[in-house]
Amino acid sequence: MCAMKPRQTTLITVLASLLVAASAVVPTLAQKVPDVQATEQVLTGADLTRVVPTSFYFQGQAAPTQMRNSAAARIDNHHVVAGMVDTSGYSAEIRARYQGFFITDGAITVGGESLPIGAYGFGFTNDGKFNILDLGNNQVLSVSTTNDKALRRPRPLMMTMEGRTVRLYAGRDYVVIAPK
Amino acid sequence: MKSFSPQRRLSFGLVAVLLSFSLLPAQTPQKKVEPQKPVGGVSTGAPATYTSRRTVGITDPNAPVVFEDVTDKTALGSFRHRSGGVAKDYIFETPSGGVAIFDYDGDGRPDVYLLNGSTVAATQGKEKAPRAALYRNLGNWKFEDVTDKAGVANERWGFGVAVGDYDNDGYADMYVGNFGVSRLYHNNGNGTFTDVAEKLHVARRGWSTGASWGDYDGDGRLDLFVPGYVQIDLNNLPPSPSEVGKDGGVSQNFCQFRGVPVMCGPRGLPGEGDTLYHQKADGTFEDVSVKAGVNDPEKYYGFSSAFVHVDDDKLLDLIVVNDSTPNQLYINKGNGTFEEIGYPSGVALNENGREQAGMGLAVGDYDNDGRVDFHITNFSDDSNVLYHNDGETNFTDVTFQAGLGEVSIPFLGWGTSFIDFDNDGWLDLFVVNGHVYPVVDAHQWGTSYAQQALLFRNLNGKFERVGAPPGTALAMAWPGRGLAVGDLDDDGRLDLVINNLDSKPAVLRNVAAATGHWLGVRLIGKGPRDAIGSIAYLTTGKIRQRQDVVSGAVYCSQNDMTLHFGLGAATKIDKLEITWAGGGTELVDVTGVDKTITITQGKGAKQ
Repeated sequence: MCAMKPRQTTLITVLASLLVAASAVVPTLAQKVPDVQATEQVLTGADLTRVVPTSFYFQGQAAPTQMRNSAAARIDNHHVVAGMVDTSGYSAEIRARYQGFFITDGAITVGGESLPIGAYGFGFTNDGKFNILDLGNNQVLSVSTTNDKALRRPRPLMMTMEGRTVRLYAGRDYVVIAPK
Repeated sequence: MKSFSPQRRLSFGLVAVLLSFSLLPAQTPQKKVEPQKPVGGVSTGAPATYTSRRTVGITDPNAPVVFEDVTDKTALGSFRHRSGGVAKDYIFETPSGGVAIFDYDGDGRPDVYLLNGSTVAATQGKEKAPRAALYRNLGNWKFEDVTDKAGVANERWGFGVAVGDYDNDGYADMYVGNFGVSRLYHNNGNGTFTDVAEKLHVARRGWSTGASWGDYDGDGRLDLFVPGYVQIDLNNLPPSPSEVGKDGGVSQNFCQFRGVPVMCGPRGLPGEGDTLYHQKADGTFEDVSVKAGVNDPEKYYGFSSAFVHVDDDKLLDLIVVNDSTPNQLYINKGNGTFEEIGYPSGVALNENGREQAGMGLAVGDYDNDGRVDFHITNFSDDSNVLYHNDGETNFTDVTFQAGLGEVSIPFLGWGTSFIDFDNDGWLDLFVVNGHVYPVVDAHQWGTSYAQQALLFRNLNGKFERVGAPPGTALAMAWPGRGLAVGDLDDDGRLDLVINNLDSKPAVLRNVAAATGHWLGVRLIGKGPRDAIGSIAYLTTGKIRQRQDVVSGAVYCSQNDMTLHFGLGAATKIDKLEITWAGGGTELVDVTGVDKTITITQGKGAKQ
């Protein structure tokens, strides 16, 4: 029988460990991510795998990424990465808002609203909203989504390019992401 | 509890994100990180309060009686399924088990095999294991329990049963998918079976579910596909709802359904890959899963499968229904490999691009357009899905247009099968239901643990729920799982057997009054002999029906392989065409209706 440690202890341990390695990590990331290719495009294959984290921390715990439901795009020499995570370990209240992670390494607009560089949680909700949350589950922005009834084969999460902008879809609902 | 400012929490989170990038393997923190135990429940719709359960007590006094519950009039009424404890603390206690209707003794009457579950104590040898049971059909609704003589008690945690005459000796064999070690019961032809799984190299370990037999490479010998569900270590079980609040137990944040602690899984638990066994010329099997491209490297939670002709190119394709993950559709490339096209074909997800909790699978041409369609059952707060085959490996989710959407949402579906219950020439649909969380009965969530089954009448491609007269079978509620269809009394009306969790089964006799003419068709091929993968096309007037010989599907269960055609008012068969699994097409002359004929490949019909 598995006995779980209290969540708080786990959180502190994880965060402390992460801080130790942080200084070494950031330069490595900068070296490895190919940011010199200016072409706006949705990443696929190895390019996608390289930028999608295998798990993501959000309000007290880390959850594994659903790699099949992850997407990334390069716009204006920056990257936007999003992915659904397994939220089954979270409370119903968090699950109702939080579906996955949203990372941008450049300033962007989402549905016309500004979003600075950072890592966030996100969720598409049944009321037609796309919500960006900080890692403490506080709302950063909320914009209306558009429903694309003509979309032929919707997926749980995907990106498409529309000129220099990106559409982030969850099923048939999408928001437009643009460089700022 | 020490709290962190939002800014600090953001910083920590960013670092966590960066650290988890796959391109940073060398930057492992020196301090030991406590691994996050992956646990999970089932993600469903938003909580809502209902004034009725919607899944029980829905009756219509004016509806005609279609099915009579005759369970207690038969020997099957003494069977008791058992699977774990009543609290259902663990996922492996909830999905058992399957049922098969097949003629094991070749007397022309379909018999019934009911799988049983088990308990943790039984798997550890601390108590007697529940037994599966084989009932010989003596006719006139008399059944004899022949389990001991046949040697098929299993006494392992049974989930799926798939029938196939793998050695082409004329006697139907059974593959039993277990949680533990699976079995292949070879039919010795004298009323007994022998477990040859180890000898023939198909004794799959792990959690095997709804298998399917099919000759995917056209060598005349049946091959075997077995889906895997979840990896479970009985010595290291996931957290259970019974632990909540106890010292050292899990937080209530884990494994909830609508805020209430429930068993964990499948999400958050590691899945199992799938296995394809190719039968060699010497009768043994080899695992060709990876080579064939059907090993399921993503380890989706597999429940049901079926070899079936999807694109009608003479090569047997394969569909796999997965719980909480995308369904898979494998197209046979004819060179021993398959191409997985679940996403582009449209069967991986529903029309809105959502992954669903796939359980059962019905295979049939419901709109008589000559192509095989699929109906897949799902979790409560979600609809079952009807995938229409548009041709050229394209499917469209037509659930709501067909009338099957809204009505199925409160139900948690399992076994499903197309069944022309009124013999009008259009395949109707039957669905077995039952929840996995006993706690649902303590809340007004609009659903229930035991649930009514659903019967839908097909009105030229649109479906309409058949009402349940009070006190009849359709008005009853069971924690249903497996389902099998067959004409148990040879009266031309299809009957049903349902395997119910922790309960006695339900034997449903079709007593529908207004039914059409019919024709039963048994096929004997040159190889495979039981004709799995063969297709019969029957034409009466303007209607051309298609029936496939399928092993498995439903939900971990097996329908009788005698093909059943409703003919409506027609008393003459205009055309019966057989496309044999082993190759070749044959036109068969049929004289008369309302009977079962046997067609032997190359020799025509025995009327």
